[in-house]
Amino acid sequence: MRSALVHNLCDRRLQALAVVTGLVLATFAVRTVPLTRDGIEMLAVVDITGSMNVRDYQRADGTAASRLDTAKAALRELVSQLPCGSRLALAIFTERRPFLLFTPIEVCRDFSPLDGALGSLDWRMAWEGDSRISAGLFRSIEMAASLGTDLVFITDGQEAPPLPSIGGPSYEGKAGAVRGLIVGAGGTALAQIPKFDDRGRETGFYGETDVQQENRFGPPPTDAENRPGYDARNAPFGGTAAKGTEHLSSVREPYLKTLAGETGLAYAHLDGPGGLLRPLLDAGTPRPLPGSLDLRPLLGSAALALLLAVFAVRPLRALVRRGGSRPLRWKKA
Amino acid sequence: MTLLSRFGTTLPLVLWLLPLALLPLVASSQRRTAVSAIAAVPFDGVSRAIGWALKLAGLFAIGGLILALAGPYRSGETVTRTGIGAQVSMLIDRSGSMNETFAGKQPSGAEESKAAASRRLLGDFVGSRAHDQFAVTAFSTAPMLVVPMTDRHDAVRAAIGAIDRPGLDYTNVARGLAMALSQFGAEAASISRAVLLVSDGAAVIDPKIQGALRAEFAKIRPNLYWLFLRTKGSPSIRDKPAGEDTPQAAPERHLDLFFKSLGTPYRAFEAEGPEAVAEAIRQIESLERDPIPYTEQRPRRDLTPFAYALAAFGLLVLLAGKLLEADPGRAERRRMTRSPTPRDITEERRLAA
Repeated sequence: MRSALVHNLCDRRLQALAVVTGLVLATFAVRTVPLTRDGIEMLAVVDITGSMNVRDYQRADGTAASRLDTAKAALRELVSQLPCGSRLALAIFTERRPFLLFTPIEVCRDFSPLDGALGSLDWRMAWEGDSRISAGLFRSIEMAASLGTDLVFITDGQEAPPLPSIGGPSYEGKAGAVRGLIVGAGGTALAQIPKFDDRGRETGFYGETDVQQENRFGPPPTDAENRPGYDARNAPFGGTAAKGTEHLSSVREPYLKTLAGETGLAYAHLDGPGGLLRPLLDAGTPRPLPGSLDLRPLLGSAALALLLAVFAVRPLRALVRRGGSRPLRWKKA
Repeated sequence: MTLLSRFGTTLPLVLWLLPLALLPLVASSQRRTAVSAIAAVPFDGVSRAIGWALKLAGLFAIGGLILALAGPYRSGETVTRTGIGAQVSMLIDRSGSMNETFAGKQPSGAEESKAAASRRLLGDFVGSRAHDQFAVTAFSTAPMLVVPMTDRHDAVRAAIGAIDRPGLDYTNVARGLAMALSQFGAEAASISRAVLLVSDGAAVIDPKIQGALRAEFAKIRPNLYWLFLRTKGSPSIRDKPAGEDTPQAAPERHLDLFFKSLGTPYRAFEAEGPEAVAEAIRQIESLERDPIPYTEQRPRRDLTPFAYALAAFGLLVLLAGKLLEADPGRAERRRMTRSPTPRDITEERRLAA
């Protein structure tokens, strides 16, 4: 009897089963291993000016979605994807400055108020109609620096009024001091900008004469002399009203990329209601967060693989030996 | 179905491996022994039972492991309890003048701006009682919903933390009030609800909007508190203007009159310094003491250990089977020295299976 036991103990499959059992029993003993993960702390600044109402995105069901709606959806998805312990502050941008709604909020524990706040972003919160992107961006960088966070600045890059011929203000801060991302929202084709009345009802689209097509502050452009009706004193910008496409809107990628280069931020295009996580993790400062690693799946999968081998190796080997033919059958006499 | 829907797995895709648990039905971990005629072995119920038990044990072992890897859990539940507290919808003025001191100057040195003082004191107010719920709305030219009604006090404090940032231009109370009122949900009217307006000025409320506001106040019937941060030297709520008594000439006084005419419980606190603000907040806190239902989230329960226990049980049975397994071939080889025991016969179950 004892010799049978010893004989059994020498069996490979018994040994394998013993290892499997050992692994499974070990799952009751192991504790989680503490480790650090990379989280993000960021200030999201969302452009809520009129051009963000342009509907040049499509929802999954095929209906048109505005740039602002898409940006909101992307931020909400981002918040749900960020590792716990990451924090988000939110500001809105219009005129020439960001307006801080709240200082950083943790994305997991306080998810529901954060999600609610992102969901209720509205163009109606805007306090003025101008949209001076560069000024807003520079001040957003200052704000992010004061909060000690990275920056995500979502805009379509359309300056209103348009920049003067000499270009916009230049960045005076230290490039790269605040890390982050400029997100360009909008399609590359020109699209109409919806117009709203003073009670917030949509009344059509902006026409060519509704908006300022050319910035006539500062010195005139160098080619002004060739314009019809040019007069150095009385009509330095030419004698006719400016024509242009400022009443239409597309994402101004070259301009935003220039701004990004000037300020040391990265640039990414908003392709739809998602996809912000990867560029943000690449551009942002990784912040170590306490996390934990559960070792049980490791033990469990090793145990499962070995256990399957115990059952399957013999029959498979036999199959190979037979060259794939069916096993012999013993028939009842 | 409701019982089942409370269970879930973190990696449901792993469950597709579950058919592998049927492997023990076609393959065995026991030895295979060739005999010349299975029909020659007498029918043995115990052997059959052991054979099936081993198959089941294998099924449990593999199935249990796959289940454990999928990460089973029973989802947490939300329990509603009753505590003491109130729903407070804060409406905070973020106009530029809030960044000045109570003396109407730019803050310097140890002086505190009106916004910084209210930030500090309101921040203490939030979270002093565990079951209060807050919503924060900011207003200047336009109302801005900052944080919807929530019991997450960290988030509310983060919203209050932003109020001493540079403000905007105007004080447009009417639309702010409408938004602050809209923060109250459709819960039972027994909850104590309060609107807390913090501002350092007032504005004329458009008569067209007055009617709508009145209707909203009548429907929700919140307690209304106006914390008026008065700059030294500026008119008080109660001062009658020397000239014409119109809303344009004395907006503070007329906003106060409007609030009084609403028919809802209303108190105005005029604060000319941080101490007065603190005192007003203390009073509001003591006034808002009613039972409030709040929800408590019970954490979800990890069921992985149970799946591992199932696997361990199956494995132990399999191990026992392996350990006590007979080897008829080996017995054959040793027949010369000893005769087979009855136990060896019963364990020829593999042949039957």
